Amino acid sequence: MSSIIPQISVGLSIASILLLIALGLAIIYGTMGVINLAHGEFVMLGAYAVWFLQTFLGIGLIAGLVLVFLLVGFVGWLVELTLIRRLYDRPLDTILATWGVGVILQQAVRLGAGAELRYVKMPDFLVNPVHVMGYEESAYRIFIFVLAVALLLATYFLIFRTEFGLRLRAVTQNRDIARCFGINAARIYSLTFAYGAGLAGVAGALVSPLKSVSPDMGTNYVVDAFMVVVVGGVQSLLGTVASSYLIGQANGVLAFLSNDTMAKAVVFLGMVVLIRLFPQGLFAMRLRRS
Amino acid sequence: MAGERILELQDIAVEFSGFKAVSGLNLGIDRGELRCLIGPNGAGKTTALDVICGKVKPSAGRITLKGQDVTRLPEYKLARRGVGRKFQVPSVFRQLSVRDNLEVAYCKHLGVFGNLLGFKRGAENDGLEKLAELVGLEEVLDQPAGYLSHGQTQWLEIALLLAQDSEVILLDEPTAGMTAQETMHTAKIFNALRGRHTLLVVEHDMAFVREISDVITVMHQGRVLAEGRAAEVQKDPAVREAYLGSGGIADA
Amino acid sequence: MTRNRDAILRLVGYALFCAAILVVPLFVDNGYLLNKFARYLVFGILSLALSLSWGYAGILNLGQAVGFGLGSYCMAMALKLRTIPIQTGAGGLPDFMVWNNVQALPWFWVPFHSYAFAIAAGMAVPAVVAFLIGWFVFPARVSGVYVAIITLAMLVVINLVIIDQQPYTGGFNGITDLTTLKLFGIEFDAYSDATYYLAAITLSLCLFLGLAFVNSKTGLILQAIRDDETRVWYFGYNVAAYQNFVFCLSAAIAGFAGMLYTLVMEFASPTFLAVPISLSIVIWCAVGGRASLVGAALGAIVVTGVQGSLSDTPAFLDTWMLIMGGLFIVIVLFLPNGLISLIDLALGKRRRGRAATAAASVVAIERSESSRRQSAAR
Repeated sequence: MSSIIPQISVGLSIASILLLIALGLAIIYGTMGVINLAHGEFVMLGAYAVWFLQTFLGIGLIAGLVLVFLLVGFVGWLVELTLIRRLYDRPLDTILATWGVGVILQQAVRLGAGAELRYVKMPDFLVNPVHVMGYEESAYRIFIFVLAVALLLATYFLIFRTEFGLRLRAVTQNRDIARCFGINAARIYSLTFAYGAGLAGVAGALVSPLKSVSPDMGTNYVVDAFMVVVVGGVQSLLGTVASSYLIGQANGVLAFLSNDTMAKAVVFLGMVVLIRLFPQGLFAMRLRRS
Repeated sequence: MAGERILELQDIAVEFSGFKAVSGLNLGIDRGELRCLIGPNGAGKTTALDVICGKVKPSAGRITLKGQDVTRLPEYKLARRGVGRKFQVPSVFRQLSVRDNLEVAYCKHLGVFGNLLGFKRGAENDGLEKLAELVGLEEVLDQPAGYLSHGQTQWLEIALLLAQDSEVILLDEPTAGMTAQETMHTAKIFNALRGRHTLLVVEHDMAFVREISDVITVMHQGRVLAEGRAAEVQKDPAVREAYLGSGGIADA
Repeated sequence: MTRNRDAILRLVGYALFCAAILVVPLFVDNGYLLNKFARYLVFGILSLALSLSWGYAGILNLGQAVGFGLGSYCMAMALKLRTIPIQTGAGGLPDFMVWNNVQALPWFWVPFHSYAFAIAAGMAVPAVVAFLIGWFVFPARVSGVYVAIITLAMLVVINLVIIDQQPYTGGFNGITDLTTLKLFGIEFDAYSDATYYLAAITLSLCLFLGLAFVNSKTGLILQAIRDDETRVWYFGYNVAAYQNFVFCLSAAIAGFAGMLYTLVMEFASPTFLAVPISLSIVIWCAVGGRASLVGAALGAIVVTGVQGSLSDTPAFLDTWMLIMGGLFIVIVLFLPNGLISLIDLALGKRRRGRAATAAASVVAIERSESSRRQSAAR
């Protein structure tokens, strides 16, 4: 029993990171129908941005988070503006185009910052473990968890309580009709894409002290995040949250029982079986198929 | 035409996340009949067709086709048992030529391996060309279907159903977007089809409906409101009530 | 009549291409160059295999390298087992197993003592893996983008597993120090004419058999599925079965290409089924023309050929990938059917005027249709 609790907390922190990545992916896919294969590279960019700020400008991780969010968000905004916009009606081709963007970002970083692994320092006050209910817990993991919950709430607020969110939901429901009511769909799309990219950047910043930073680090994250989206369905935030938790915990527990690779393989097989049983994800509404 | 029941819907209900599109729908159609299904918007006509062809599964009720329960069959198995469908939004294969479209619809063999050795330009080709002539597409046989006009696309989809040669043909607004002349030509084709095929047509154009149908079924709020000949149905006070506000049945 | 003329022109084009690749050894007697060319041809086969599933059936398989890698390992296992005794430990155990303290040959290695089994497995294993994934995914009728990301996830996971299971797969290093394949008295040395001819003949066969396949009724139905999947179900076809069939076929061909690649490269490595090569396959196919078999093959040959003739240094390769990423995006945006469609454009000059007006009306139809479809979904 005593070994299970720390395991759950590891799972929880994996889930928090996954949630941040998958949230951006799900919002982009849910709103625009675009699968963003460059999402992993946005994560990578976030990690490199933190490394850059820390190494060259002396800005710490936490102080740099907002900057990272804006920076990666801006890259996302540019990508949407120059590329995605031309491919709204060709969903399979957006996969290709964003894959191409991913390659370019990856290679640009590899050429610019070098292929070697980079390391980011944890904020000093979060290095020491704290005691929670009799268990020793990494303060940094708690920080990640709290931040993920905060960003989730912020996203919820943004979508369901703001003017922008209302427009976003209108565009999601029916782009053409929303346009007729004077909503600038293109602007909504680019902001959505930028927001999703920004979230991925923050996630990358947060994992950077835990794992080494490398140009190809994004691939693994993006695959996990896709599994979250497939399992959770794209209709609801709740689905994304629940399936992040599910997959994060499954990864944590299975990795504890064997190793990371086998955990990933089992989660993948689970997802493939699930897709046959629940093609719309675990948390989808029954809609009229058009 | 002695009434052998080819298709029977019993107490069908369809729900979408709580919204009842159809409830307690009963409908029986005889072999060789040409039945028109009319009703105001949102009456559940398209959903009724969806249920019959297997696109939507009912949450309650039973569908019988030629005496067999087919309620839970997926759409491709229903198609194999003789149900063909034309959609409201004409759906044809836009990147394929008209000829290839017909070829796909002409589906006597359905298996992957059987079709591996089947090459195009077989003996059936003549039949397909005659079909194209019937709907006036013989000139454009080798053009991609995406190049066709809206009316031509409607024709092509009707031709696809003829190539498929289903016993029961479901048509959702087959004349939408057609000129009056084209509509009358369609009526002629449908009249020729009755007897050999059983047709169920959802239509708004009352002139067209009067031209083709024996019996009309009026749907309202997910169930059958009235059934009978055009003249009878139009006199029915319940029907008048249902159409109130949408300008009456004549030009609905 | 234009229909027949086009078909004949296409056949002539295919024949010319095959003749061109088959006469290469008559002019090149440099083993190193031939080896390089053989590699390009193998990539051509691989790209052609993707064109079958992606270009003709709309199944974008981002994990195409899985079949390639598995095929490559099957061949390498058979060749490794025959490398006794120089590079193999006591009792016929491959050297890396000895280093990893494996005591006895694992059961799944045993049948690879037979070449016949290995060659069959090189196609069957990829096909079975594809079939299992396809059996779950296609009947679920999820959209094409889901299929794409699931195949990508499959690639990443299988790659990780192979690296992780070092005692049985050689891990990061793969399976190296192989013997040369001898079959029917021919020795398939990596630098020989024989290996080149094997690749060239395989590619030619794939081209013509592939052409026959896409012109069969099954091929036609697959193209219909690519166009409008849901509509095909209503004609009574089991769409999922058709999709899975072409998915497996494509994986099997990729597996064969993988076996050839082992012969050409003289080793098998987890990089053969990693994300970069899978990405490259998609790029070749897109650049050449996804919906043309010879286009896809040419795309692979030209892209890798240009890459190979420039340089092989790591710094160059990084820049090269950067350029390819950009080229890829440009092609996707402006030339969805790849470079081969330029030929069609040139040949179809006379019909262009008519096509242009028709194309405009198509756009108009699609617009009104997409809005109708959306309101129908309400």
